[in-house]
Formats: sequence, C-alpha cells, structure tokens
Amino acid sequence: MSVGTRGQTPASGGGLSLGALVERFFLQIASWPALLVMLFVTAIPFAITIALAFTNYDLVRSDTWRFVGLDNFQELLTDRQTPIVLINTMYLVIATTVIPTVAGLGLAVLMERSFRGIGIIRTLYLVPIMTAPVVVALTWRAMFNNDAGWINWIAGSVGLPTPVWLGDPLLAMPVVIITDAWTSIPFQSILLLAALLGVPRELKEAAAVDGASRPRVFWHVTLPWIRPVLYVVIVLRFMDAFRKFEGIQQLTGGGPGLSSTPINLQIYSTGLTYHRVGYAASWGIVMVAMIAVSLGLIYLVQRRLR
Amino acid sequence: MNRHGRRLAVISTVILVAGLIIVIVPYLWILLTAFKRQVDATAVPPVLFSPISFKSWERLLDGPFPGSLVSSVIITVGTTVATLVIGVPAGYAFARGRFLGRRFLGGWLLFSRMMPPVIFIIPLFLFFHQLRLTNSYLGLVLAYMSGLLPFTVWMCASYFEDIPIEIEEAARVDGASRGRAFLTVVLPLAMPGVLTVGVLIAIAAWSEYFIPFLLGGFDTTPATVGLVNYVGAAVIDWGAMAAASLTLVIPVLVLTLIAQRGLLRGLSAGAVKG
Repeated sequence: MSVGTRGQTPASGGGLSLGALVERFFLQIASWPALLVMLFVTAIPFAITIALAFTNYDLVRSDTWRFVGLDNFQELLTDRQTPIVLINTMYLVIATTVIPTVAGLGLAVLMERSFRGIGIIRTLYLVPIMTAPVVVALTWRAMFNNDAGWINWIAGSVGLPTPVWLGDPLLAMPVVIITDAWTSIPFQSILLLAALLGVPRELKEAAAVDGASRPRVFWHVTLPWIRPVLYVVIVLRFMDAFRKFEGIQQLTGGGPGLSSTPINLQIYSTGLTYHRVGYAASWGIVMVAMIAVSLGLIYLVQRRLR
Repeated sequence: MNRHGRRLAVISTVILVAGLIIVIVPYLWILLTAFKRQVDATAVPPVLFSPISFKSWERLLDGPFPGSLVSSVIITVGTTVATLVIGVPAGYAFARGRFLGRRFLGGWLLFSRMMPPVIFIIPLFLFFHQLRLTNSYLGLVLAYMSGLLPFTVWMCASYFEDIPIEIEEAARVDGASRGRAFLTVVLPLAMPGVLTVGVLIAIAAWSEYFIPFLLGGFDTTPATVGLVNYVGAAVIDWGAMAAASLTLVIPVLVLTLIAQRGLLRGLSAGAVKG
C-alpha cells in the first residue's frame, strides 16, 4: 500500500492500473470535461472575437478578409452612431439597475412581515422571474399598443394622456425600462427578502429598545447587515442589463431610429444584419471594457462604504 | 403605537396587492387573448371578454409551432442532463480541493458568467457553420452551456461545501473508491440542491431566446423563437401569439409552484454565495 496522502485511499493500492489512475486524479477527471466545454464555447470564441476586431471580416465576403490594424476602432471614434449607442447603454444599465434595486428593497421590506397569505404572495412574485423574457416582451408590446393596448385604454378612460408609446423616440427607452421592471423588481425583492430574513432579530430589537425609530433601525442595523447581498444583487442586475436582448428587440426593435439601441443590440445588428463581423467585434471589445470599468467602479464604491 | 402599527400594516398590504395586480395583468391578457375571436383580439377599444373561441389554437396547431415545442423539449432535456452531468462533478471538484487548472477554471467561469453571450456568439456562429453544427441540437446544447455551466458549477460547489468531508472519508476508509464515495454518499446528500439547480437550468433553457435565434437551424428552432413569427413583419396574429405564449408559460408555472421552496432557496443562495 502506498503512503496515504489525501488523494489516495486504501482501495487505490500502488500500481498504475486504470482504477488507481482514476483514484489519483479524481478531481481532475471530474472537472476537466467542464474545462473542455468552456474552452470550446467561451475561451476560444473570446480569443477569436479579439482577433476579429482587427480585421475587416465580412459575412458575405468571408474569403477576402485581412488584418486592418486599428481601422475598426478609428471608425468607432468617428461613427455618428457611437455616442448615441453609448448613451443608450448607460441610460439602460443605470435605470434597470437602480429602479429595480430600490423598489425591490421596498417590496422586500413589505414582504418581510409574516401574516396569513404571505407565502402565496411571495410565490406569485416569483412567477414573472420564471417567465420567458420573449413572452414578457411580446405581451407588453401588445399592452403598449397605442389603439388596442390595455395601457392606453385604461389611461384614456381615467383621463390620462395616451401617448404613442412605441413610436416616440423619447418614450421607447422608458417602455423598455418599465417592462424590465415588471420582472426585475420581483427578482431583486425575492433575493433581498432572503437577506432581510437573515438579519438577527435580537439586533433589531436591541436597537429598538435603545430608542431607535424604525427608519433608523433599518438604516443603521438592517442595511449594513444586508450590504454584501445588496452588492451581489446590484452586480447581477448590472450584468443582466448589459445582456438584455429580446426584451428590446421584440419590444421596440431598438427604435424608433436608434433611440432604444444599447451596445448589445448594436453588436448584433452590425455583425449579423449588416454582416460587418470585424467591426462588430471591435464594438464587442468596447462592451467588455465598459463592463470591466463599471464593475470596477461598483467594487470601489462598495469598498469605500464598508 | 398599536393603531399606528395597524395602519402601516394596511398600507403595506395595499401596496403588495397592487403590485400583485400589476404582476397578474399581463398573464390575464395572454389568457383572455388566447381564447378570443380574432376580431376581438385587435379591437379598438379593447374587448375584454369575447365569446370563447379556439380558432387561435387551430391556427397554432396547423403551423410549425407544435414542431418548435418539440424542439424546445429536446433542447431543454438535453441541456439540463448534459449540464448536470458535466457541471455537478466539476462543482464537487471545486468544493473538495486543489487540482491542476482549478484557478484558471474558477477565474474563467466567473469571466464567462460576467460577459454577455454576444461576445461569444459571433465566433460560435462562424464555428458552427464550419463544423456543420448549425442545424443540430448538439450545437445548441453546447452553446447554452456557455452561460449555464458556470452557474451550475458555482451553485453545486456551494452545496458540496456544506457536506462535511468526514462523511466521505468514512466511506473511503471502509474501502469505497473516490468515485464510489462521490456517487453513493456525497451525491445523495447534495441531491436536493442538485435538483434545484436542475430546475433552474431547465427553466433557463426553456426560456432562452438569443442563442437559438442566432444558432438555431430550420429543424431545431425552439418555441421561444417560433413564437415571434406570429407577430413578425409578415403577419400579426396576437391570438396565436397569446396561445403560443400560454404553452410556454404553463409548464414553467407548474414547475415553479412545485419547486417554489427550493427555487427561493436556490436563487438566494446564488446571490448570497455567488
């Protein structure tokens, strides 16, 4: 029998039989299929995206591509669409992070109390989270319809204005954000509710005994306690906002014009609608940079607050 | 104080119920529209109740939609099984120690989780044309794993970490191999967590749109992408779209109600530990 290190068991014995090898390298064998798949579906594609950004690769003329250096990035700087798309991206990402997180926290506080029927209420708030985003987008598109939609129907019957939601460049992004809020407020609140329920009761009671009002207890006891979770749900929302696709494509189509086109949709249409894969890849690199910078900023803010 | 407290309770209940109404209204729209006569589905002003009609369902069943539902089932089952088979052991390896490639895999999984799929999809699109994977379920399942595998490994690692290592060491002292100890001792203990992850993978795969929209072939188009054709450039048929949406919503609704406790815990574990 070999020396009993952690990787070996009495059953493994000494020799180099297949069984012994499996025993010795069990953790590697267990994890390498995942490594292999990730290599094929994300690592290699990512490397190729970087390489493509320096080419003029075009889907319809795919055999005549060549390296063009920084041409794509130069074009990015002069493209009239660039500032619009970047502003849209920031607008979308900030609004779909801040609004759902603040409203979700409020909703979570309301759901924290236990009373009859609270279980059903919590479950019902789960359902939008689980509904396919494309169904959500199409349903809201129907409801935002300016003549036959329910929203203008209700607004009109109580005397509110009935705008052309999907045809107004100023309203397209708010429509996307409202629709997003329908799933993301419940999402944030369900996650934050779990955190709120984990705050030790004694802590809050002790503060209340010391004479702190409810808002003060929330601000000085509850909020610091749930801050790590708050940080994570903000980051999760953030990443979801960047990858939002059908929630825009099937709702406003990114329009009218470019008014609701964030970077994600721009990459798609540049690469696959207009076949300019090389240029799309350079947009992709800008997107990676945007995500990295903003995650870095969130991290720094979170560190400062601690 | 007491009266104040009661008033607060009333206000918060009112807000919760108002929120629930907003949550329910879109489902109500789907349900009502799916069983309307076609003229009522687009009436101005909207007609809330119309004589029950199954015409939308007939149009749906006559078209390619039933086929795309079958594709959805195949993709969902395939993705769930493949992701669990590959992801669960990897999660175990992560929870249990050092091995060559651990740091790299961990960092890469996190990176893949952060990056939006559009970064990977264009090269995959080019690959799949080269490898003739465009019209195959295998290609789709692989592409789905780009986002779901990191999630699975992560979640499973956190479940395995909660299982004391002494339990499997005891099994190994009794002569079980590592593989055997994993399959017969550790895995059964982690099963509730693994099942929750499985349900979350299945719901995510069932709802996925972006990947099959770009990589799905004529025969492999799932229902999420097929659905869109009913309100595309050529036809606008809200009745059929609503009926199709119902077929997408109901399985998830049932699964959510059955697995709600696990899902609540699974989602929040992802946030607390992720």
